[in-house]
Amino acid sequence: MNRRVEKMFLYLKGMKSMKSTVMKDKIIKYTYTMLLLAVSAFGFASSALAIPAPTEEIKPTLNAIISILLDPALKGEENKIERRAKIMAHVNSGFDFREMSQRVIGKEWRELTPEKQDHFQKLFTKLLENAYIGKFESYSGQEIQFLGERIKDDRAIVATQIENNGQFIPIDYVMIKKEVKWMVYDINIEGVSLVRNYMEQFKAILRRDKFDGLVKLLEDKNSTFE
Amino acid sequence: MKSKKIFLHILFMVLVLPAFSLAQANSGVGNNGGDAEIDRFFEQEETFDPLESMNRVLFEVNDKLYYWVLKPVNTAYTAVVPQDIRYGLGNFFVNVAAPVRVVNNLLQGKFSDAGIDFERFLINSTLGFAGFGDPAKQAFGLKAKPEDFGQTLGVWGLGEGVYLYLPLLGPLTFRDAIGFVGNSALHPATYVLTDFPEEAAYTGVDKVNLMSLHPGLYEDMKKNSLDPYISIRQAYLEYRRNKVLDKDVKSSVFQEE
Repeated sequence: MNRRVEKMFLYLKGMKSMKSTVMKDKIIKYTYTMLLLAVSAFGFASSALAIPAPTEEIKPTLNAIISILLDPALKGEENKIERRAKIMAHVNSGFDFREMSQRVIGKEWRELTPEKQDHFQKLFTKLLENAYIGKFESYSGQEIQFLGERIKDDRAIVATQIENNGQFIPIDYVMIKKEVKWMVYDINIEGVSLVRNYMEQFKAILRRDKFDGLVKLLEDKNSTFE
Repeated sequence: MKSKKIFLHILFMVLVLPAFSLAQANSGVGNNGGDAEIDRFFEQEETFDPLESMNRVLFEVNDKLYYWVLKPVNTAYTAVVPQDIRYGLGNFFVNVAAPVRVVNNLLQGKFSDAGIDFERFLINSTLGFAGFGDPAKQAFGLKAKPEDFGQTLGVWGLGEGVYLYLPLLGPLTFRDAIGFVGNSALHPATYVLTDFPEEAAYTGVDKVNLMSLHPGLYEDMKKNSLDPYISIRQAYLEYRRNKVLDKDVKSSVFQEE
């Protein structure tokens, strides 16, 4: 690009035969305008690219979790608390539990006080941790294959698969764009949505027992994992 | 008449199209536009479960059956039969069911998939020691293309109908119940094994073997949910819907990338 501009200037300098300087000015002006446009277009493009792609966002999170799971110093029952705390730190940076909580509660979410929202988010996060971190822990070094991603507006799906006993289990990460990064708000295993599964359960419970009843059930459920 | 039609077109363009672009511009939650696959991914069908109270009773019955019969049998089976043989048996049962897959692929117009499953059947029945091995996948890279009659009915446009939870069979939609009958009509075991005890034994071993290869699925589901009945219903319906739409990851949604 630069060389081309240089050449153009040399060419312009060399245009001795050109009678009218007005014409010359016009050409120079035109060149500058185009340059300015090109630069600003480049600026726009790079600012749009500033948010890493969904796959690039989830990959390091998963890799960090895997390296904790494979770390011999963190293995075993005696390191469980430390290990899980470390895993959850990474999970929290890549997974949006607020978004999940909002979705599983549905319309009623906005009617809850911020305290109740926070309390619910804590309980629901704990349930997911209880239910699924054990699954992580049986991981034994299988490769996670990234199959592709799809983006539509502020939502994206990152498709992966992992081998288990000779069979490939498809796991899709459903993500949402939050200001500066993509965050996971749902996991689909074999096409079955985790968040939607809880949403359907909670819908019936909310209708029957209201929000306080749901909180009570969640607390009871979490205590069964201790 | 014609002018009315043109008027409607103009009305559509004036009113509807800007609405689309607005919805897209203002939040991004709007799911319009050309990308139909990703929209379908986020869509959700309504669940039709008018028999819920009866289903819940049968759910409890099955739950007892699971803990009193299925689980002890499965534990003993898993302890006695080595894992390699259980995998081999699993391959065998899958191979025998090949006609179900071939015919249903054909019925859905998936001719090359039908051919793949037919080839798999030939290779595995011979080189794979009557189907106990899976050289078709390991040596030839041919993966099974599972399609059943319930999926075919779905592809043909039949709705899933009432949700049922049946003793022994577990979760089932009315469409899959019809599919179940269609599948057994296509299954060789129906014709080779003529009396009921033989067939029951075949199905029993098939199911127990399958369960031994996926241990803890039911118990995990129960442990992780606040309402296991709904959790299983939702998982089953979504799983089957995805199968009908071929919406799972291996499908075209991601392969073209």
